[in-house]
Amino acid sequence: MNSESIIIFCFQACLCSYLGGAILSLVLDRWQKAANLIGFSCAVLGGLVGCVASILVLNRSIFPSLLVWPFQMPLFTFSIHLDALAGFFVLVISLLGLAISIYSLGYAAQYYGIKNVGALGAFYNLLLLSNTLVFCAGNAVFFLITWEMMSLFAYLLVSFEHEQPKTRQAGILFFIMSHIGTGCLAIGFLLLFKAAGTFNFGSFHRIGPQLSSLELNAAFLLFLAGFGVKAGIIPLHIWLPEAHPVAPTNVSALMSGVLIKSGIYGLARVLFDFLGTPPVWWGVTVLLLGSVSALLGVLYALVEHDLKRLLAFHSIENIGIILMGLGSSLVFLSFDHPVLAALALIAGLYHTINHACFKGLLFLGAGSVLHATRTRNMEDLGGLIKKMPGTAFFFLLGSVAISGLPPLNGFISEWLTYQSLLQGFGSTEKLLRLIFPITGALLALTAALAAACFVKALGITFLALPRSRQAEQAHESSGSMQAGMALLALACVFLGLFPMIFLPMLDSATQQLVGQSISSQLIAADGWLLTALGVEKGSISTLGMVSLFLVLLPLPVALRLVFSRQAKHELGETWDCGLDQLTPQMEYTATAYSKPLRMIFRAIYRPRRQVQADFEVSRYFTKSIRFETHIEPTFEKLLYRPLNRAILRLSRRIRWVQIGSLNAYLFYIFLTLLALLLWEKVY
Amino acid sequence: MFYDDIQFGTRMITLMAAGMLVTQLLIVGQRLLPTSIRLFSLQSFLLACLANTVAYFNHARHIYIAAFLTLLLKVIVMPLFLNRIVKRTSETTEVQSYLNTPVSILICGGLTLIGYMVAHPFIKPHQRGHSTLAVATALFLMGFFLMMNRRKAISQVLGLLTAENGLFLAAISLTYGMPLIVELGIFFDVLIAVMIFGILVYRISEIFDSLDTSKLRRLRG
Repeated sequence: MNSESIIIFCFQACLCSYLGGAILSLVLDRWQKAANLIGFSCAVLGGLVGCVASILVLNRSIFPSLLVWPFQMPLFTFSIHLDALAGFFVLVISLLGLAISIYSLGYAAQYYGIKNVGALGAFYNLLLLSNTLVFCAGNAVFFLITWEMMSLFAYLLVSFEHEQPKTRQAGILFFIMSHIGTGCLAIGFLLLFKAAGTFNFGSFHRIGPQLSSLELNAAFLLFLAGFGVKAGIIPLHIWLPEAHPVAPTNVSALMSGVLIKSGIYGLARVLFDFLGTPPVWWGVTVLLLGSVSALLGVLYALVEHDLKRLLAFHSIENIGIILMGLGSSLVFLSFDHPVLAALALIAGLYHTINHACFKGLLFLGAGSVLHATRTRNMEDLGGLIKKMPGTAFFFLLGSVAISGLPPLNGFISEWLTYQSLLQGFGSTEKLLRLIFPITGALLALTAALAAACFVKALGITFLALPRSRQAEQAHESSGSMQAGMALLALACVFLGLFPMIFLPMLDSATQQLVGQSISSQLIAADGWLLTALGVEKGSISTLGMVSLFLVLLPLPVALRLVFSRQAKHELGETWDCGLDQLTPQMEYTATAYSKPLRMIFRAIYRPRRQVQADFEVSRYFTKSIRFETHIEPTFEKLLYRPLNRAILRLSRRIRWVQIGSLNAYLFYIFLTLLALLLWEKVY
Repeated sequence: MFYDDIQFGTRMITLMAAGMLVTQLLIVGQRLLPTSIRLFSLQSFLLACLANTVAYFNHARHIYIAAFLTLLLKVIVMPLFLNRIVKRTSETTEVQSYLNTPVSILICGGLTLIGYMVAHPFIKPHQRGHSTLAVATALFLMGFFLMMNRRKAISQVLGLLTAENGLFLAAISLTYGMPLIVELGIFFDVLIAVMIFGILVYRISEIFDSLDTSKLRRLRG
């Protein structure tokens, strides 16, 4: 068997096991344990073979797309293709799917007897299946079908706990937003179809020059909006912080890790593969949108006290960072710097898989906390590190990774993004030259704020004393849940320490999209050093850092042994200012922690606060104080509410069309039919 | 023999298509529901004969099956079913329309003209039965007009069925029959539609004490 047939076999096995898992979960839904076990085991199997297939695809030196499954339907020929770009995204979904499915085996156990576990498993498998198919659809119509299926199953999963009105609302918001996006995509693909004459992705390749410039720009904007909704680019992000918290945690991890990446996949596919050499303003638009999303995402995350909402806002931030990579790559392409374009693209793609790993890990950690304490509000948590040491450790690893601290994976991709932005400064001119250092500075600010935010998330949730009874009675999560987290933590460490193993796998993807493969220029000194296209331009070695750290680790211990043998040590209680004992009320709260930032960024947050004191006899004897603070939801208030009102007003105006008479409706159809027939006659 | 002559076949097809057009006009002009149903049955019978003729002269064997199904369903089963509904629910057997008969007939004349206009570019003079497409379009438009013009649910069903006859006629006159599977699908579809309509009609008459669909206006939100 040659390697191609192995890839095809593995990939088919992956799709089949997702499908099989879905069917078996539904069949077995009476026996909930069996449904859980078999449904999610199938997903584990699918993830495993998917990983194998995609790694094999990425390791091929040649990259013509592999036809996995052609199938004929009347009117359309659908096909499933695996090329390098698709292979990369299949790797992301398979890796994350594998870990989350292992986690789900334990996580879904809490629904026994309360909810339909079979349905959860079935929809979960179908979401994986449709999302995998999105990445390797070889035809625009098939792509849209799988895209819609993905949105539909995600909607069903988001509203899984539909007893809560808030969950239903979030689900509907997600549904509406993703439909708006799909509408844009459909029009965009029709524009491409007009030029190509078929719906096959193969015929769309570099079709841009065949469109008029108006159509081309319209197509760009439509695709940006359509994929931007799914990716959660600000200002199209409003569904994300609503839908992520209410979904079951394994689903929110999957959505945050992969589903929103399908928007990135679409942008990469369309902007690089289909539309050809871009005008400068496309890249600049994407770059600026990315910077704004990154900064605002992290700012909103900072004042959020709902653990899962906080993570959702961080997804917006990270999508912004990925878009900064893609955007600067587009700018370099329009200035004909393919090598730099490849570097920026690699930064974006690397951050894509990194974000999937650490955000998946953090969501799973948040899920374990939620599972153990039944609350997402950080102000009710605290002290969990003693009850759930494993979860706390994995959450810490994820926090380090997402904050972009060395030596974990977030650092590598953010470093690559910086490098491409900095080199953009050197290779562009005039006004454009200014954009790169500004966005670079914004990225630095974003990363620092993210670190601050995770100090808060980790510190308030896991350290100090429990703030509520639920937090006191927390328990460590089950083995499979920890195994799922461990797998993702391992991936974070691997991607952080061994970029030189992973980078060559991106070669075929950059070769396909920008015509360059540069991994050999990025790796120096036998794989120990990661450089930005040459040692003199900047280099870093996480592996070196860790080795140095390990080598130097015994040193302080030895010094202490040598110099402080005579010093006296005494262990005591934490100092409590002379009070009886420390109580949770003395702790620093999340609100208090974010207060300085709330004041600094007052122009963005527009905070409102309300203090109401109840007192007896005199104002000086306060009985209780109520303190409320809100930040203004700017985009909802300035963009979506006016839009909503305008649509409602318009619909009221055209309401008279709905007369309520069957004959009148038939008359409408009849008139339309006649008009179309006669129109055809005239033209 | 004369029945092997293609000229003869062409004339027969044209004749039967014309017959269908005439029955359609009669249905438009007819005031009594049972008679309308009988006219529909006649129209479907003509359609079945036409399909047989096309099948015979073009050696398209699968059209025989479609013709047989037409005969069975549209000539026998559906009229019986519709008659039964009329008997069960009838307050009056008169069809009630919005426009009076002369105006309706005039409009239908106009629709026939439109049908010929629309079908003109597709007609090749050497093609057998070349005006059938025009007739089919006209039938379809008139069926639609019937649905629009009638107040009662049953006569609207009748309009739908005649429009479907027009579609079937267009299919066999243009392509000498669609693939059998498509035709079977359409038959099944129409059969189900009529069944559902039947049930719906009962419900409407139960709830509103009438089959006048204009009373459904109350359902508007």
